Amino acid sequence: MSITRRVFLRNGAMAVVGTAALPHFLTRAAFGATALDAKNKRLVVIFQRGAADGLNIVVPHGEPAYYAMRPSINIPRNAVLDLDGFFGLHPAMSSLQPLWSQRHLAIVHAAGSPDPSRSHFDAQDFMESGTPGIKATEDGWLNRALHSLPQPADKSAFRAISLGPSLPRILAGQEPAVAVNNINDFGVGGRNANAAPAANTFEAMYAGSVDSVLHGTGQETFEAVKMLKSADPSKYKPAPGADYPRGRFGESLKQLAQLIKANLGVQVAFADIGGWDHHVSEGSTQGQIANVLREFSQSLGAFWTDLGDLAEDTIVVTMSEFGRTARENGNRGTDHGHANVMFVMGGPVMGGKVYGRWPGLDQSQLYEGRDLALTTDFRRVLGEAVHRHLGNQALNQVFPGFDNQPGKFLKYLG
Amino acid sequence: MSLSRRQIAVFPAILALGLAISLQFAGASKGKKDPASRPAQMDEQKRAMHALNRLAFGPRTGDVERVTAMGVDKWIDLQLHPEKIDDHALEARLAPFRTLRMDTREMVENFPPPQVIKAIAEGKQSMPSDPARRAIYQAQLDRYEARQERKQEAGNTDPAANGASGKPAMTDGNGEEQARRREDRLYADLKAEDLLDLPPDQRMKAILKMSPEDQRAIGTSLRGDKGDEFMEGMKPQQRETLMALNNPQQVVTSELVQSKLLRAAYSERQLQEVMNDFWFNHFNVFIGKGADRYLLTSYERDVIAPHALGKFEDLLVATAQSPAMLFYLDNWLSVGPNSDFANGIPKRNPNYNWRRPPRNRRPAQVKQAKGKRSGLNENYGRELMELHTLGVNGGYTQKDVTEVARVLTGWTLKQPRQGGGFIFEERMHEPGDKQVLGHRIKSSGEKEGREVLHILAHQPATAKFISTKLAMRFVSDNPPPALVDRMAQTFLRRDGDIREVLKTMFHSPEFWAPDSYRAKVKSPLEFVISAVRASDAEIGDALPLARQLQNLGMPLYGMQPPTGYSTKADAWVNSAALLGRMNFALALTAGKLKGVQVDSDRMLGATGANADAQATLIALENSLLAGDVSRQTHDTIAAQMNDPKISQRQLDDPARAPNSSAIAGLLLGSPEFQRR
Repeated sequence: MSITRRVFLRNGAMAVVGTAALPHFLTRAAFGATALDAKNKRLVVIFQRGAADGLNIVVPHGEPAYYAMRPSINIPRNAVLDLDGFFGLHPAMSSLQPLWSQRHLAIVHAAGSPDPSRSHFDAQDFMESGTPGIKATEDGWLNRALHSLPQPADKSAFRAISLGPSLPRILAGQEPAVAVNNINDFGVGGRNANAAPAANTFEAMYAGSVDSVLHGTGQETFEAVKMLKSADPSKYKPAPGADYPRGRFGESLKQLAQLIKANLGVQVAFADIGGWDHHVSEGSTQGQIANVLREFSQSLGAFWTDLGDLAEDTIVVTMSEFGRTARENGNRGTDHGHANVMFVMGGPVMGGKVYGRWPGLDQSQLYEGRDLALTTDFRRVLGEAVHRHLGNQALNQVFPGFDNQPGKFLKYLG
Repeated sequence: MSLSRRQIAVFPAILALGLAISLQFAGASKGKKDPASRPAQMDEQKRAMHALNRLAFGPRTGDVERVTAMGVDKWIDLQLHPEKIDDHALEARLAPFRTLRMDTREMVENFPPPQVIKAIAEGKQSMPSDPARRAIYQAQLDRYEARQERKQEAGNTDPAANGASGKPAMTDGNGEEQARRREDRLYADLKAEDLLDLPPDQRMKAILKMSPEDQRAIGTSLRGDKGDEFMEGMKPQQRETLMALNNPQQVVTSELVQSKLLRAAYSERQLQEVMNDFWFNHFNVFIGKGADRYLLTSYERDVIAPHALGKFEDLLVATAQSPAMLFYLDNWLSVGPNSDFANGIPKRNPNYNWRRPPRNRRPAQVKQAKGKRSGLNENYGRELMELHTLGVNGGYTQKDVTEVARVLTGWTLKQPRQGGGFIFEERMHEPGDKQVLGHRIKSSGEKEGREVLHILAHQPATAKFISTKLAMRFVSDNPPPALVDRMAQTFLRRDGDIREVLKTMFHSPEFWAPDSYRAKVKSPLEFVISAVRASDAEIGDALPLARQLQNLGMPLYGMQPPTGYSTKADAWVNSAALLGRMNFALALTAGKLKGVQVDSDRMLGATGANADAQATLIALENSLLAGDVSRQTHDTIAAQMNDPKISQRQLDDPARAPNSSAIAGLLLGSPEFQRR
């Protein structure tokens, strides 16, 4: 079949009813997406920690001011992977180009947190708590996104997971969430059968502990360990063509794909990738930013390929704490700025389009005279995914204090 | 059995310490059984335990008794004056690590980074004459040249893949090289297996006799656990040489990492080590950033440690002028936009008559310099206020950040990659007055920076920020505001004297409140070291422990952002971390960590290895957790005793000693041991 899945879905979905040989999701989709079982919907959030330089990632190559302000680190017009005649992807991101042309990848530019902080720590914290400017918030929005959802009957220990050695702020809160460093040694004593009594003892010890913090985490942990053991995700090898690059981020997404494919009930997931804080020698088509972007987009591309049909129920959103100065600094790098770019990819996404209003890069258009101005609040982008995709109507609880009426969505989900 | 567990626990104590202490002990246990009658103050035993958990990396066997005997207050006072504490045992352990005593330049010379090797290969620098050093250089040089050759080969066979199209070389050339490497590794693996049969000394001799290629191949095959096994039993000098043949830079970083773990585990000056760790984390520098691989040894030794209990301003100035920080937060590259350097005005050479025009004025060079670095870099200026002094809500603005960056232009480094130190470069300094936090800073070159650091070090916001952070490390995740206020007052009144601020905290009722006891969840470093100390483990090689820390999410010197690691529970309590801790506990006590030996007889103390399972459990509870274990944990482990894998009892051998290492592992993985 030469037509892409997306085109097929859009144009001919009704024609396939009753065709047994088709993948399951297609027949389900043909009956109407809203009737689908909500628990199969997944939201994956990626954090680019360290303030990625959005202007060199989705390059406004139609903007003369961009080239004037970045004499040594701009991405030349003839090097960008053009998207729509005005914006173009950094050339190291070719792995995402097919997703764009198949309209599974949408871009929101000049997006981010409205808080003026240029502190990595604070800005990340705000984007994870979902309450910019308010430090007292104790939980993370991705946890709250599950909290006000109707509970599925078969509640999974893997409903909310983070890949890495610690549980990030974004998943802190009332809903159980597990951090998985490595699915292959997630358990007591690894695969050593002799460790079973020790595992049981630990489980009982934590189950009975009056230490509320450790008790709760212990319980979640052992539930997850048991589920993982029976599902044995290690038997899910990456799909052909899913070439994850080496490095922690690729490994995280590979393991996430295994967990999803093992049908462990993953609803929300989180992974992060560092190495974006390029104050010195950022590079342009080659160099530091190109290297990290290559890892970033190859990993996402491989994840997409790996998920196969399951990608149809998956949305991936990326974010970073703030952008970087519109001008390059004295060291061929960039300093902390304001608005940034977000990617949204997934089966239900109306991709192939740059969403949001472009504020321009003329001096008068810059935020505080130095940074890309913000025209789309990150909660607007996330809210649409939480509401339309996860089916959580209570956005006032997920993003308290933010007016997130569905009428104001960017409508990248149609 | 009619005796309660608690009563049994008292017996060894009576034997060891006599009746007086045992009465106290019994009193403590009575209090614990009935929370309603818990005294408002901790008793002396608990106080000792608490102090050891907070001012030290946890107690070693017998520490609680020693501190109790000395008197807790007296012990604290002694810890506040580390110069009075003899630490020769630790010094002997650190003696083999030569880089710890080298300055940065010596380190670079002895263990050359790739840039130096490249310079030699290109004929820009000469080989050293010292034979041992020469061997290390030669190995690297061979490797460098082999790599260059391979690059050229790949370029010749497939020019299209060699970047002609602007794309990086990939596919065929790469595949071939990978295959070759795989083969090399296979043979090296086989050789390494053979060598393993030799005793360590002969193993080393055999390696030194090998050709450089073979040495290299062996070196690369010895990464991770395999390397641990291979180097087991070798002297640190032998390890150093072996490692240097493979990767000289790694000698520097691995000795630094090992020394940190050994100090934390074995130094008698425990508070000094805790504070070194605290300040390093506060003024965090990432070891993975370029020259910082060579700069952290001096940073910790010459910048952090001497001021850890001194005046805050001295510490702040020392970090501001340290090559490690100047490099990490980029200030060494920051140039005043209106400075001579930015304007392309060349340096005046003091040997020339100032009236004579400079001879080597080449416009092209000047232009290049201007393009390369001609502007401000705000990175350090921001973190200086946000993370090092005022705190993010300390009342500064973006304008202050820019002004501080202007003030600090010219604070730079000469050849940081060769080990050059701090200099003030007038030509890079932004001329004119500046305005910081409402203070007018008059144009005065290097002095402006000193003035700003002085102002920052004495701000009330700084006093509060530092006091809060200290109280979070030593008291609780959300320290009582009244305590923080008193500490901040001491800070301001005593000119930022850190020792005095600590005293205020250690003598506060909040520090000793029953709520504070075991209120803190250990960080991975605190957990790992406290387990090593509690079990009296002997560290022959600390690198396996470092790898454990990486797995637990806390690689030493490995925090990339300047924030440092969190000291709060929520950062460290999660599924991955808990499993990691349980696995570490079991591996440590089972002797599965290479290079780290646990002596279960010592843990068992007077109880001995032949006691029954119950007595063994109680003895281990006493030695690992000072006997303070919840009934739940105790009962759970006791119930598991019936499992033959733990009790080791067998039908034909009912008297066989219980598996004390498994029990110890369970205790170190228990909820109680996760707290301090």
